[in-house]
Amino acid sequence: MMILGKHLERRTFLRGVGTAVALPMLDAMVPAFARAASTKAPCRMGFVYVPNGIIMDQWTPKVEADIGPLPADLPRVSAPLAAFREDLMMLGGLTCNGGRELGDGPGDHGRAGAAYLTATHPKKTSGRDIHTGISVDQIAAQHLGSQTKFASLELGCEDGVQGGNCDNGYSCAYSNSISWRTPSTPNPPEVRPRAIFERLFGNPDDFALDAVHRARQQKYQASILDVVLGEAQRLKSNLSASDGNKIDEYLFAIRDIEARIQRTEKQNATMKMPDVAVPPSSVPDNMADHSKLMFDLLTIAFQTNMTRVMTMLMATEQSTRSYREIGVAEGHHGLTHHQGDKEKIEKVTQINRFHVEQFAYFLGKLKSTPDGDGTLLDHSMIVYGGGLSDGNRHLHENLPTVLAGRGCGTLTPGRWIKYPAETPMANFFVAMLDRMGVPVDHMGDSTGEIGYLANL
Amino acid sequence: MKRKIVSLVIVGVSLAYLTWVQGLSGQAPAASPAEESFQSTVLPVLAKNCFVCHNAKLHTANLNLEAFRDSSAAVKQKDVWNKVLDKISSGQMPPRGLPAPSKTEVASVTSWIEGLLGKPTGPTILDGNPGRVTARRLNRIEYKNTVEDLLGIQVKAAEEFPVDDSGYGFDNNGDVLTLSPLLMEKYMSSARKLSQIAVFGETIPSKPTLLALLMPKKGPEAPSTSSSSIILPYSIRGSMYTKLSFPVDAEYEFRVRVLNHRDPFLDYSAPKEQFLSLLDAATHKFFQTREGDAPAPGAQPTGGNGGNGGGTPARVRGPRRPLTPEELQARQEKSRKAYPPVEMALTIDGKKVLSSFIEGDTSYEYDRGAFIVRVPLKAGEHYIRASFPELADVDDPRRNINPDGRRRLYVEFTEVAGPYNPSSAPSESHKKIFICEEKTPACARRIVENLSQLAFRRPVTAAEIDPLAGLVALAQRQGDSFDEGVRLAVQAILISPSFLFRTEIDPKPLAGAAAVAHPVNDYELASRLSYFLWSSMPDSELFRLAKEQKLHDPAVLEGQVRRMLADAKSNALVENFAGQWLGIRNLDRKPPDPNRFPTADDELLDYMHTETNMFVAAMIREDHSILDFIDAPFTYLNGPLAAHYGIEGVKGEQFRRVALNTPQRSGILTQGSILTVSAYPTRTSVVTRGRWVLENLLGTGPPPPPPNVPSLVESDIGASASLRQKMEQHRANPSCAVCHMQMDPIGFGLENYDASGAWRSMDGKFPIDASGTLPDGKSFDGAKGLEGVLRSQSDLFTHNLTEKLLTYALGRGLERFDKPTVDTIAEDVAAHGYKFSALLMDVVNSKPFRMRSGEGER
Repeated sequence: MMILGKHLERRTFLRGVGTAVALPMLDAMVPAFARAASTKAPCRMGFVYVPNGIIMDQWTPKVEADIGPLPADLPRVSAPLAAFREDLMMLGGLTCNGGRELGDGPGDHGRAGAAYLTATHPKKTSGRDIHTGISVDQIAAQHLGSQTKFASLELGCEDGVQGGNCDNGYSCAYSNSISWRTPSTPNPPEVRPRAIFERLFGNPDDFALDAVHRARQQKYQASILDVVLGEAQRLKSNLSASDGNKIDEYLFAIRDIEARIQRTEKQNATMKMPDVAVPPSSVPDNMADHSKLMFDLLTIAFQTNMTRVMTMLMATEQSTRSYREIGVAEGHHGLTHHQGDKEKIEKVTQINRFHVEQFAYFLGKLKSTPDGDGTLLDHSMIVYGGGLSDGNRHLHENLPTVLAGRGCGTLTPGRWIKYPAETPMANFFVAMLDRMGVPVDHMGDSTGEIGYLANL
Repeated sequence: MKRKIVSLVIVGVSLAYLTWVQGLSGQAPAASPAEESFQSTVLPVLAKNCFVCHNAKLHTANLNLEAFRDSSAAVKQKDVWNKVLDKISSGQMPPRGLPAPSKTEVASVTSWIEGLLGKPTGPTILDGNPGRVTARRLNRIEYKNTVEDLLGIQVKAAEEFPVDDSGYGFDNNGDVLTLSPLLMEKYMSSARKLSQIAVFGETIPSKPTLLALLMPKKGPEAPSTSSSSIILPYSIRGSMYTKLSFPVDAEYEFRVRVLNHRDPFLDYSAPKEQFLSLLDAATHKFFQTREGDAPAPGAQPTGGNGGNGGGTPARVRGPRRPLTPEELQARQEKSRKAYPPVEMALTIDGKKVLSSFIEGDTSYEYDRGAFIVRVPLKAGEHYIRASFPELADVDDPRRNINPDGRRRLYVEFTEVAGPYNPSSAPSESHKKIFICEEKTPACARRIVENLSQLAFRRPVTAAEIDPLAGLVALAQRQGDSFDEGVRLAVQAILISPSFLFRTEIDPKPLAGAAAVAHPVNDYELASRLSYFLWSSMPDSELFRLAKEQKLHDPAVLEGQVRRMLADAKSNALVENFAGQWLGIRNLDRKPPDPNRFPTADDELLDYMHTETNMFVAAMIREDHSILDFIDAPFTYLNGPLAAHYGIEGVKGEQFRRVALNTPQRSGILTQGSILTVSAYPTRTSVVTRGRWVLENLLGTGPPPPPPNVPSLVESDIGASASLRQKMEQHRANPSCAVCHMQMDPIGFGLENYDASGAWRSMDGKFPIDASGTLPDGKSFDGAKGLEGVLRSQSDLFTHNLTEKLLTYALGRGLERFDKPTVDTIAEDVAAHGYKFSALLMDVVNSKPFRMRSGEGER
């Protein structure tokens, strides 16, 4: 998707829309929510997840000291980041202990995905009683969500697996989502670019309405929500407690939407009209095209302040996707259990690098988008990494981690920082939350706040 | 289920339990009665049956029961005992093939654990607890079917809902189906669109427009990112097929464009083997490029990019002087005769609506436009297929591929335009909604009452009708039409929790009394039945029987089950139950690697899926013995699939029933769908196939591998001989051996089928050895032999299928107290010749299906 520079008259657009939406996926303009003019650019937070570990000796920069400037000649996997090395940090030594066995036997992939952002040890189950922690993005979303249309956005490039048991007794829910609103409620990612587009900008049909009809539709919607809320309460009073919990999920969802509608109405006042191409309704089966569309949408969502928090699941943990677009026919997960086989290691390296290339595209996009007194990248903290370092051996320590962006001036990028072994990933998350203005002393298995992110 | 189960063992157990609980009260802490009874009754059983794997050294499944030789440690580990209890009482432990403790011994262990965990026990609990199904949100498929039945419109929105999580193998599990704000948003936007269509009809363009541009993928890997079209599966035969929704009864125009890349300079008369080896290099290159970018015909496979188009520039352009009309005509005629005409047929719902012949080579009328036909169609979904029927039967579908990688003939795209002369008759949905014509408040009430009780699948109260009718009034007050008001009510109904959730309301217990198990009411039973067999809401007959309170009558119930199975809607049972039981829903997620299996294109995978669906449907509708799943001597094939299997005498695209008289194929295990989902994209895996059989057919899936064992040491192995050796090394480790001794031989029994399900007698340089020896010493050879082994395990097979079907029917995981139900059903099914109908009726008649326990009851 592109954002073109020109801004067309609203009327011009509306006249064309009748025919435009009748055709599948014809480019159409849609209104965007312009960022309310504020004195200071807000800070954004994002997490881009890659599964199945990384070939670490092709990732870790060759820096002798524990802290030092990032060299221009990064190893093969991380090399695409070199162009942005003044805008990011690479971190070593962080551990996600919750992903480890801890007496629960195999299932490292299932645990790695669910433990990564929650910093907790997921309960081993393939049935009803899934339980992990609230993820760092959701902690931020709960604090900051009221300021934007969407408290957070969850995107992905691979649809979840259906089936109760994905990894040795761990529910598929654990690997299908990295974002967890509550310990038992995952936020499954949306993989269809078109669906995200419609979430952000709404139903193209609505743009054809004039102010009177639009207001009327809003009134109707409010009345309908009242009707179903009443129905939900009536129903709940007739149901037993266990069924009532399901209705509580419903009530939460409805109230969440109500609150969002109210926020949107406020923002409508400052609506501007960028010319945006509607993404295709089919999902590209080529990851490069797919992730580009997703990263474009994320950039717009940040730019227009529709959200400040996002997660992006490049592929699900234990993904068996094959990357024929770069000549790798075998499934990703199978390859990562290479047991030292050079050919397999080479193929995993190619996949790892390919993922980083997609991430670099996102960074480029953020860096080239002006925001307040700088760029979006200046006002962001984007983490790239995953819950496993060595996928062959299922290691949960020394996780590959990039922190990109300048965090609204709270970071000193351009460096490699190697933390002491076994430093909890959660300590890093607490430090990020702190910079987002989210007052949290503790999350998951954190033992404090990580240092050195900014030069003393 | 008619027989009541009173197990003497259970009574005995509960007495024993009572004795030691009584003893528990007045004891000194030195050695608690729990510890004492552990030492005397439990430990000996553990030592005899469990320590062999769950010891300090092996730690199998990360469990070391040997540590409990110290009984004071044992009584502290309640979590561990909870798991042990589940494994033992569900019969999963000890694993089959290992010596099992006697029933009395099992009972003494379970009752001790229950005492320790403070779980209530006793006959009333184990015998006859129907369990409680949690309120279930409609899953994607149920939502689509329900709205379509309710309003008579097509629902595409459900495809955009997030994937439903599954529990216990199925995606209709009440506990696991959650409702996120994201999904709620989608329900809301979907309700708005659907209510608009239901009340006002599909938005029909005022004059005919291009409705869809359908394009098949150009290569197995070609990206489907084109921003203005619907991309369809890749077919080596050049065909194009899809389902498409049409907005209104009208005429529609189909414009099919065919590409003819039959090259006059290529020699296609070469023997097949030679031709195929020529292709190997080309296909390899081809599969890394996109078809449109392929070099021009005539260029060497390794040559540069010759550009797209039909011309063969250097050779055809000919002499410099302009050709005379005669010369031109002669050349045209030569081109025309260069290749025989091939029929391109367009069918809609299987009916041929257009037949055209593609003549000549690539330079003959290359720039011809599309074939056009106009067809009257009813509103709704139709199956469109444009293909070359003759190509279905080529002995190798790669015969339709040029050495440069492009297909010789293929459908490039189909445009669908319309509607022409749309019908102005009111839509079906309009008739369903507007049951009265006058636009009065009374009529509004009737409309919303009718619609809401159908949508909520139960009678509605005035308190529910009033607010809905209020929406109609609201719209009218705002200056909108009566119909717009009805639309708002429809929109509200479609996001109401009573619609989105299937809830069951417990009868209010008498004051002070505890909630108890009770039969679900007839409306609830109607929904249980319809969502089980149809994945949709009850129809008018079920509603009528519910209203008359007759449905629970066993004879009525049985009559309804038979009626419902005969209805085409019961295909839902095939697709949703069998599709998940057999795992073939994931078939398109892991297609075979096109470099290694170039003939297994998307179209062939779809055919495999069709084969299994038709086979399962026949098993159900013709009421076969469920054991026929193992080795039925028939299946459903069409030409391409028969060619893939090496079965002769089946031609053409149409599927038909085929009697199997080859030792190579019989039953479900030798179907391409199963063989493909249980393989890796690049090769077979004896472990995953073995595990597939154990888990899905026998219900004895192995436990996860023990910790610290490199997971399945089965790296890329080209040769079967070394694969066998590797597996044997692996099995030398005793804690691996327990499971791999069961899985691997089964997998080896299927080694005659490659990763795309085709028959083979060699794997690379090595002849296939498809023999296996099971842990009990029983030997067999090949799929036939394996099927014999499975037949001899009819008890396990029946138990497993019963558990799966009951889980699916109930929408909850089975619990310990369901075991007697499963046992009884399995016994009864065996007594009735293993008939599928016996299984189905036993499930429907079972206590868990007809009843619900009270809240808090265990």
